[in-house]
Amino acid sequence: MNVLGRESKPGPAVLGLAAALCVVCVSAAFAADAAFQEARPAGPASHDIRPGYGVTEIRWLSDYLPTLADTSGDTPVYVMEGEREGGTLLLLGGTHANEIAGVMAATLVVERGAVSQGTVIVVPHANNSAARYNDRTRHPGTPDWIELTTASGETRRFRYGSRRTAVEDQAPDPEVFVHPLGGEELPGSEARNLNRNHPGKADGTLTEQMSYALFRLTEREGVDVVIDMHESSMSSRLAHMLVCHPRAMDIGAMAILDLEMAGIALKQEVSQEQFRGLSHREFGDHTDALAFLVETPNPGQEDAIEDPDVVNHPGAPLSGRVRTHLRTVHAILTSHGFTVGPDETIEMEYPFSLDALSGSDLGTFFR
Amino acid sequence: MHIRHGWILALALVFSAGPALQSEGGVAAQSSTFETPSFIASVGQSAGAQQARVLAMRAGLEFTFEARPAPEMLEGHETLIVVLGASTKGLGAAGVDVDAEMAWATELFERARESGMSIVAMHIEGGTRRGPSSDRINTTFAPMVDHLIVKGAAPDQEWTEAEEANGNADGLFTTIAAEHEIPVTYITRTLEAVGALQQLFGVEGNP
Repeated sequence: MNVLGRESKPGPAVLGLAAALCVVCVSAAFAADAAFQEARPAGPASHDIRPGYGVTEIRWLSDYLPTLADTSGDTPVYVMEGEREGGTLLLLGGTHANEIAGVMAATLVVERGAVSQGTVIVVPHANNSAARYNDRTRHPGTPDWIELTTASGETRRFRYGSRRTAVEDQAPDPEVFVHPLGGEELPGSEARNLNRNHPGKADGTLTEQMSYALFRLTEREGVDVVIDMHESSMSSRLAHMLVCHPRAMDIGAMAILDLEMAGIALKQEVSQEQFRGLSHREFGDHTDALAFLVETPNPGQEDAIEDPDVVNHPGAPLSGRVRTHLRTVHAILTSHGFTVGPDETIEMEYPFSLDALSGSDLGTFFR
Repeated sequence: MHIRHGWILALALVFSAGPALQSEGGVAAQSSTFETPSFIASVGQSAGAQQARVLAMRAGLEFTFEARPAPEMLEGHETLIVVLGASTKGLGAAGVDVDAEMAWATELFERARESGMSIVAMHIEGGTRRGPSSDRINTTFAPMVDHLIVKGAAPDQEWTEAEEANGNADGLFTTIAAEHEIPVTYITRTLEAVGALQQLFGVEGNP
């Protein structure tokens, strides 16, 4: 069924790859958690992602840095090309694999989104090593998986990962971590934090290689806008925030006002030059793209909550957090469209209202 | 960023569904008292200045924008619009601290007054800009202006938006306005500042 009402469909090669991914995904997804912990497989973790008709090509991050192939840092890259030429968006989820709203928002784009103009490139698990398992360093009470029930009654499982690259994939940590471009001394474990290692290094650590590949993707595909979807604790000042590279402040301001009309109140901040390695800073500094980072509040990052419900917490349900991410993406693209020519805009749509996500049974929106 | 001609028209379209300025909720009826061209600057280097820039475009104001201008840049302008609120990140990006920002803003205000300019202050980021650093700026410079636009609850107004969006929950700006006899326009949503600016400057929005 063509739920998106598009005439074009993915070619056989795309469908074949998608089917193969799904087979791998399902088998991996239903592996016993204990067994998985004991025998963590080499190569990239698999995920239950079911590309919709909007996906026109599936690549791997290793297409942009071949040394990543067959490592746990490799990850699928979903390309959604519109019928009309336009600008290009790179949408990142899972930079921190425990910040699940960004992962689920990216997954929903892949499964149900349709691009009418321009190209949207989605990486739902930007740090796929971090998605292998939940190391619980951020919160001991968070789960290994979340479960959502689709409209047909099927239960789907999605990994709830870690903040950083798995220790097994990158060891040992240095005593302290300082970004190559300078800045403050951070704990050594931050060497495994993808969002402290941009713009990466071709022959660096696994985390640096993941970053490097994302930057090569951005350059090679001529990406105009990068949006990195994150979460913070509920009480953090970062919650409900849109961080913008200085070149992107105007578009960010327009987006904030647009979102306010939709009842979504985001704070706007500018990225600082002295805090190196963050996506909103480095994509803006080292590429032509306008860079943004969105933060929603995740109960699974709130220390004050002993046993957090990361899906149905009444104060911050996952459905509302996913809505905020996708609404923000929409607002940024709309505002970006007003600042460029008509042949450079990016338009993406869904077969449902994004506002319907709020307070909904989120699983019913997935395939 | 390359901004194409005609995007102001597009902005008008995207915000055309925005709420109208409400007569309830503390918005005082004002005849136009301020003149353009105006100059929009930030005191505290928060992102609210960029939002004010968008609001001013939507309002149809003739203005110059520079977040942290040299005082000499005010020449040729009739009204200074300052957006109040400290941002650690914004100040850091500008390479200054709060003390340096306040010293610079004092010079800016002095130059504006020497030039016979009117001054309007906007506090449009709600409770986010009500911390200690922000309040040093708010309590120093809000009393020195000719009109205040505040996103927050007017006296006796029941606040229905998110608590964090209320920049006047403790009545700070109400107190300042009363003590210094400064007219104040309260808004509930940031976009309502468009109507407030149009009213103050006697302009109509972009088509």
